[in-house]
This record gives sequence, structure tokens and C-alpha cells, in this order.
Amino acid sequence: MLLLNTDRIVSGVLAGEKQSIARAISVVEDPRLSPESRQIIKGIYNHTGKAHVLGITGPPGIGKSTMIGMLSKMLSQKGHSVAVLAVDASSPFTGGSLLGNRIRMQESLSKFGVYMRSLANRGLSGGLSRSVWDSVMVLDAAGFDFIIIETVGAGQADLDVVYLADTIVVVLAPGLGDQIQAIKSGIMEIADIYIVNKMDREGSYIALKDIEEFLAYSVQGEWKVPVIGTNSLTGEGYEEYISRIISHRDFTGKDSRTRLRRYRYELKLALEDEMKQKIDSEIRRLVNENAIEDMMSSRTDPYTAAESILEDLLSSDSAD
Amino acid sequence: MADGKNQSLFKGRPIKILLAKPGIDGHDRGILVLAKAFRDAGMEVLYAGLLPTPEEVVETAVNEDVDVIALSLLNGAHMTVFKKVADFLKEKNINDISVVGGGTIPDPDKSKLEEMGITGNFGPGTTLSVIIDHVTKRAAEARELKML
Repeated sequence: MLLLNTDRIVSGVLAGEKQSIARAISVVEDPRLSPESRQIIKGIYNHTGKAHVLGITGPPGIGKSTMIGMLSKMLSQKGHSVAVLAVDASSPFTGGSLLGNRIRMQESLSKFGVYMRSLANRGLSGGLSRSVWDSVMVLDAAGFDFIIIETVGAGQADLDVVYLADTIVVVLAPGLGDQIQAIKSGIMEIADIYIVNKMDREGSYIALKDIEEFLAYSVQGEWKVPVIGTNSLTGEGYEEYISRIISHRDFTGKDSRTRLRRYRYELKLALEDEMKQKIDSEIRRLVNENAIEDMMSSRTDPYTAAESILEDLLSSDSAD
Repeated sequence: MADGKNQSLFKGRPIKILLAKPGIDGHDRGILVLAKAFRDAGMEVLYAGLLPTPEEVVETAVNEDVDVIALSLLNGAHMTVFKKVADFLKEKNINDISVVGGGTIPDPDKSKLEEMGITGNFGPGTTLSVIIDHVTKRAAEARELKML
């Protein structure tokens, strides 16, 4: 039995009602997959796939939130509807978090009707990708033209869901030290657009040149990765930024591989979660008190014990 | 549900709380102390910044699907501004978000705020644990209603 009226939520999401969208995200954002989550995604899935998903990543303090404020404002002014998902860290000690990105986007939120939702990562890496992507699907089904995911990517991506985005923007700023070092560590190959933010700062043109030079030495596909300098307070560089986003949208729209890659990833996430739940309950069943006491009293080491449990399990399976 | 009978969908999840100082009031020391205290108590804390309008507070609360809105004012405008927040919630038919208050609120006003559903109304010097306990209780009430 479901604890929540998911039919009502699904129809609310499809009608674009803010309250239903918000409640649906509350349900699917939980890293523990619930039957309600499944029900909601099943209900909306056929209405997804229309939005253009932007993944914006970069080191902390680089100006991503301010950038998204400006970007969502300008996209709205051009007649697009925009939703923002900002992922922030939870404390591994208390589980608490301060979700502060909103403050930097307040103007675009209140004046331009941009929908924004903050998600805390809840100290979990497993299950997080699924819950963030499920939230994207909710927003997609609700009919937003652009969905912007903001994540902190401090090197080796801790949140690979950003790779599911149609357009991946990597943001850097001058004065970070060795620019290329920052780019090399895993996010280089994935960017569709490079932004050097805070162009009013000293050293900004050197940072631009550094990245351009780096790109000149890398093998590029059909899409030529642009490097754009921006100032998120004045809006400098944003016309070009937005026109590149639009042209990348047209570029990926023609590419059926994007769709296929995404579906493969969605299936993988769903399967991982389903199997993890099965495995967890199976482990709870197998690691029962009697078995443990027996093994401990006979001083069986954990590997031998695990092997014999697994052997019993596999032989009983083949006997069926 | 596989894992027992009394399982609630939102059980065990961090409380989500929106802190706001609607109206013209820049005294934010108290609310910033509370933001940290709530975070350290394991809550997911949103701070609306200075000078949001009551409409913005309600809109943010709805979009973020928070459990509790915590309002703070030290400028004496609580009877006008807190009431506006409560009114907007009522207007939108929202009953599954609890509202608590705090600041410099004279005793005679407290009962009037309670009648509007705004509870707590703690003044300066209140122990943090008292506030956290109250918020936790009000969040549980909101969650019950979210399940309907």
C-alpha cells in the first residue's frame, strides 16, 4: 500500500503545479528508493525528454550560483521557462546542511518565476545520482524548457549525474593557481562549454588563454568547445554564453546517441537501486543471530563463513 | 511495506526548515546563530537572506517543500508581517507547513500569534535546545499532514 496519493501528485506535476512538483521532488529525492518514488517516475516518464538539461560544475566559490541567477534571468527574458536544482553538501557528522544558493538567485526567482530547489546530498554518494536525476525527470515532465543542475565538482566528479546533462558547463575563474591542474582532474574531457567567470579580476585573460591552449592540444569532436569569459554581476559575455547553449542544444538534438546514452544510464541507476535493496534484505536474512553465534564459537574467519553461506545459497538456487 | 508496519515515507529524513526575516529588519545575528544551531542539530537549513517579502517567503517554502518556516523580527512589525505570511499560506490552502516565530515579541502578542498558528515566539536569551525541541515537534506535525 502506498502512503501517499501518487496519482494526484503525478497529475499535478504534469499540470505544472508548483506544490505538486515540490512534493514529488521531496518523494524522489530520498536516497532510499520508496515504492512512492517508483510510482511517480512510472507516472511521469512518458512526459520526459523534452527539456534541455544544463549541468554546471566547478570548484566551490567560483560563482556558480550567481552565474545561474544571471543565466536563468536571461533565459526567462528570452521566453524560456527555467528550473534550477542545486546540490549542496551535508555534514557527514550531523547530517545537517546549510543550503545557501538561493540567496544569490533571489531576483530571478521572485521576478522571473524561475523554479528552484535545493538538494542536500545527505552524506550519501550511493543513491544520490538516482535521486537527483529523478528530480530532473519531475521537472522535465512539469514542462520546463531548461533545467539547470548545479554541483560542486572539485576535481574527480563526486556527482556523476552531471554527465547526464545535455550540455555540460565547466566554470573556472582567474587566480585559482594552476588552472590546467584544476581542469585535468577528470572534468576536462566532459565539458561542452568552458566559462571563465569573474572576468573583472586580474589574470582573467591569462586564464582564458590557458584553457584555449589546452583545448588546442586535445582531440575534439564535431562540437568545437567554446571558452567564454563572463562577469555574472554585469552580464558581460552572457549573450555569447546563451547563444552557445542554444547552438549546443540544436547540435545535441540531432544526435540520437545522447538519448541512448541517457536511457542506458537511467536503466543502470534504477537497476542498481533495485538490486541493492534486494541484496540488503538478503544480507539481513543471511546474517542472522544463530549463524553468527555458531561461526563465532567455532572461530570461523569471516571469509570462510561468507564463502560457505554463498555456496549454500547458490546450491539451493540451482536445486530450485 | 517490506520493512515493518509503522513506516512513514518521510521518517528518518532531516527536517527541512526555512529561516526568514521578512520586512525591513537587518538584525540578523540571532537568525544566523539559529541557522548554525539547526544545521548542527541535523536539519537542512535554508536562509532566505535579508529583506524578503512575505510572498517570497511563502513561495520559497512551497517550492522547497519545507516542514517549518521560522520567522524572526526585532523591529516590532511581527503583528503585521508574520500575519501576512500566515495569511498567504491560508490563501494557498497550505496546512502542511508549520510556522514558528521569534524576536522581540511582547507577551500580549504571543497569544495572538498562536491563534494564527505561529508558535514558539521565543525572545532573546532562549536556550537553543528549547527552540530546537519546539521546531522538531512542529516539523513532526507538518510531516503527518504531508502524508494525507
